[in-house]
Amino acid sequence: MRRTAILLGGIALLALLLTPAAGTATQQPPGNSPALFARGRELYQQACASCHGPDPAGQSAYATVPSLKDVGGAAAVDWTLRTGRMPWKDTVGPVIERGRPRFGDEDIRALTVYIGRAVGDAQLPNVQPSQDLVPEGRELYGQACSACHGMNGAGAALGGANIAPSLQNVSPQDVAEAIKIGPGEMPVGGGLPDYDFNSGESTREVNAIAAYVESLKTRPYNRGGAPIGGKGPVPEGFVAWVIGLGALILAARWIGGRS
Amino acid sequence: MTTMIERTLKYVDERLGTASFARRALRKVFPDHWSFLLGEIALFCLVVLVFTGTFLTFFYNPSVREVVYDGPYQPLQGQEVSAAYDSVLRLSFEVRAGLLMRQVHHWAALVFVAAIVIHLCRVFFTGAFRRPREVNWLIGIVLLFLALGEGFTGYSLPDDLLSGIGLRIFYSVTLAIPVVGTWVTYLLFGGEFPAGDIISRLFVFHVMLLPALLIGLVVLHIAVLVLQKHTQFPGRGRTERNVVGKRLWPEQTFKSVALLLFTTAVLALLGGLAQINPIWQYGQFRPFDVTSPAQPDWYIGFLDGALRLGPPWDLTLFGYTISEVFWPAILFPGIAFGILMLWPWIERRLTKDYAEHHLLDRPRDAPARTATGMAGLMVFFIMFLEGGNDIFGVLLNVSVEAITRTLQWGLLIAPVVTWLVTFWFCRSLKRSRVHPARISAGLRLRRTAAGGYETDPLEPTSSNPE
Amino acid sequence: MDVDREQEQALTADQRKAERAAAVAFTVAILAGIGLFVVYFSGGQTQLEGVLFCLILGGLGVGVALWANRLLGAHEAVEERHELTSGAAGREAFEHALAEEVGPTLARRSVLVKLLAGAGGALGLALLLPVLSLGPAPGRTLKETPWRRGSRLVDETGRQVTLASVPEDGFITVFPEGHAGSADAQALLIHVPAGSLQLPPDRLAAVPHGTHVAYSKICTHAGCPVGLYRATTRSLLCPCHQSQFDVLDGAKPFFGPAARPLPQLPLGLDDQGALIALGDFYEPVGPAFWDREKP
Repeated sequence: MRRTAILLGGIALLALLLTPAAGTATQQPPGNSPALFARGRELYQQACASCHGPDPAGQSAYATVPSLKDVGGAAAVDWTLRTGRMPWKDTVGPVIERGRPRFGDEDIRALTVYIGRAVGDAQLPNVQPSQDLVPEGRELYGQACSACHGMNGAGAALGGANIAPSLQNVSPQDVAEAIKIGPGEMPVGGGLPDYDFNSGESTREVNAIAAYVESLKTRPYNRGGAPIGGKGPVPEGFVAWVIGLGALILAARWIGGRS
Repeated sequence: MTTMIERTLKYVDERLGTASFARRALRKVFPDHWSFLLGEIALFCLVVLVFTGTFLTFFYNPSVREVVYDGPYQPLQGQEVSAAYDSVLRLSFEVRAGLLMRQVHHWAALVFVAAIVIHLCRVFFTGAFRRPREVNWLIGIVLLFLALGEGFTGYSLPDDLLSGIGLRIFYSVTLAIPVVGTWVTYLLFGGEFPAGDIISRLFVFHVMLLPALLIGLVVLHIAVLVLQKHTQFPGRGRTERNVVGKRLWPEQTFKSVALLLFTTAVLALLGGLAQINPIWQYGQFRPFDVTSPAQPDWYIGFLDGALRLGPPWDLTLFGYTISEVFWPAILFPGIAFGILMLWPWIERRLTKDYAEHHLLDRPRDAPARTATGMAGLMVFFIMFLEGGNDIFGVLLNVSVEAITRTLQWGLLIAPVVTWLVTFWFCRSLKRSRVHPARISAGLRLRRTAAGGYETDPLEPTSSNPE
Repeated sequence: MDVDREQEQALTADQRKAERAAAVAFTVAILAGIGLFVVYFSGGQTQLEGVLFCLILGGLGVGVALWANRLLGAHEAVEERHELTSGAAGREAFEHALAEEVGPTLARRSVLVKLLAGAGGALGLALLLPVLSLGPAPGRTLKETPWRRGSRLVDETGRQVTLASVPEDGFITVFPEGHAGSADAQALLIHVPAGSLQLPPDRLAAVPHGTHVAYSKICTHAGCPVGLYRATTRSLLCPCHQSQFDVLDGAKPFFGPAARPLPQLPLGLDDQGALIALGDFYEPVGPAFWDREKP
């Protein structure tokens, strides 16, 4: 009897561990361990509270620093920490700039759990970019994202200290989280019509866009050779003058005389 | 083998009298300086353009009729695109060596205009446009315009998002022409934007009208050059009455062939290794879509920069509007290129020099001309910089507003400063060096009583071999 | 034969080096040519094709350049310039040839010459007529768009757009129903926080709930779609020339070369609460043109 119970318990545990947390739900509760929560709170007090205030759901310490109450919840925490945008790098440059993550994966999870629970928005998007969604993703991307990020994800200046960052090397998780958050000048929903984090239609659209952004890294995308930054005719003109004409002027100097 | 050649030459000569003409032609002397090869670089780029362009024409379909893309490029599968765009995609992804030919063609276009500009600079700064070469100068400027037109029409043909945005701007610029703007625009495009006819009309310009003019004028340009003989830098044995250099055969022929081969080699390398105008990334043109950053090809960049510099002044007189686009996109290029075209006559008036010149100036020998040329280049350089203001902004971590304001002020100040600095620099270089025409056997450095140095030309003696 | 041998012995070490180098260059070209055939017939690859073509052409080029520079012998030559002008005598002879056989009819005041000129002018003008067939008259088309009173708002796929389609601080591109994708009708529907708009009362009345405002998407500077909406500053940026428009202040330009605000599209709600336009844009959309202010 006891052996059966242990066996069943073991199978159940195995099943629990091996079952992907995916399925059709958009929610992905980032673990409910109280230890994680406590660690998160400790980290928050050490690293974040000096600017964002002692309570994530309360007021921040400075007028220029947003309260974490409605910046996008757990998704915002996960995104800014994973991409190294937070903690803010020494007041230099716009907050939007990517950097090296300053926390390890476990600590990021802890902070995500803590802050997400504290502000009442603990959901992280669950992205599934599949290859066959790429054409649909391209269309949606053209509608909603290309104006700022460029059709090839090159990114652009947005005036002032703001930029729309390059998407040529981001993860699907980044895409989904950014759409949910609407960080900086980006609108919540990323410009998608009828965006709702919990709706199946929006999830599908986000998956499609993430699939397209993934495709920006593939070979057929840069079939012509070195992309020279992917920023279009300006670097191309630079190459034409410096490398193209430069090489030919050197050739002319070799062939021709000096007097 | 030799007898066969001899027999062929005899055959042709008996019918066309080629032998004596060819002998005279092959013995023609051309001066040897490397900077005289810059025009040839442009010519050889044109050769590459014509050959690769012909290949492209066999695949391109100048139609805006919608088709569904079903080629191997997955992100566009199932998309409705224009037949023109579809044909360029097919060429890039499904035709062997198609992408290479397309990219070589486009790189050749960029280098073509760059070579023309650098050749123009050489001609300008050495005073080669002076009498009797004013007409060839005019032909050259017209060739520059034709090259700009060819480039613009060419990269607009694939009907992609980026070039379509450029076409929309071109439409707005022609609209801004006073009095007749709306009519000219509707006649040119065939109606309200995006008039469907424009792609096929650009095709006619790009493949037929402009190349015919371009090639015809290039032939004329070279014919006048051969007739008038090339200019040369001053030096030993060179006068206004002779040409010193190498003969067309064999030296210049070998050199020109080598330069042609190098030009095609560089363009082939760029065409294979450096991606250019990846239209599949931009997607097809739709009039309500936009992508960032958005710039034209480099040689139109000065107009883009001029448009960005502003100023935001539109004028309404008696109920009629002059758009703010008029100043940077119509008035400025009109004045700038007008001055450029008329420069030989402007300079003649200012310097009172109406003589024939076959010996070139070094830039320092004509400080005012060199300074004016540098100031003009500075104006265009500022506009080019502004054309990429959003890209430079991200690169340098500076806002586009800061770049724009700096360059607006720069436009007023920098050309003046450039003129003054260049003028002073030329003058001081002139003062401290002997004219090359006076050097026959070298220079001697001599200390003066005042403590400075002066250079004296040496006389040729047996111990100073020339 | 003796001359040949003498000439061969006259080759300096430098020239022999150049000969060898040229030989290597030509060999590289031949090998690259073979490589190109292999690459092409095994499917082709753009980068390899480019490099191999470069090697063929460059190999040939290096070889020929070495030949030209080192192996031809530097023979400087001098040619005398001839007078370019035909001289006064020459020009006179030309004029004489022109005028010789023409006869009295070409006398300046001849009626026939004048009529010839007139006919020539008529021909010239007549030849312009086919040019006029190239396009329609502008008419009022630049001043009107397909928006009408009662036009429902749809997105580019034709799907209906409702108040809920746009989250706060969000935006989408809208068209009149039946004209999805129309170039001159394209408009931006922007959801701003309540009470934030600073519009005159009659314009504010055309903003449902004071939150959903619509402007033309066509930049009034040079016509690019103004697709960049900045959610925190609530302003629009045009990517072409960086004109910036303040959404809360009637889309007036506050930076950049644009001189006029983006025309507002008056919106309302129909009986079913669906978003509709109340008429065409308040002004002609897009860049300025000569008779823009004229009715």
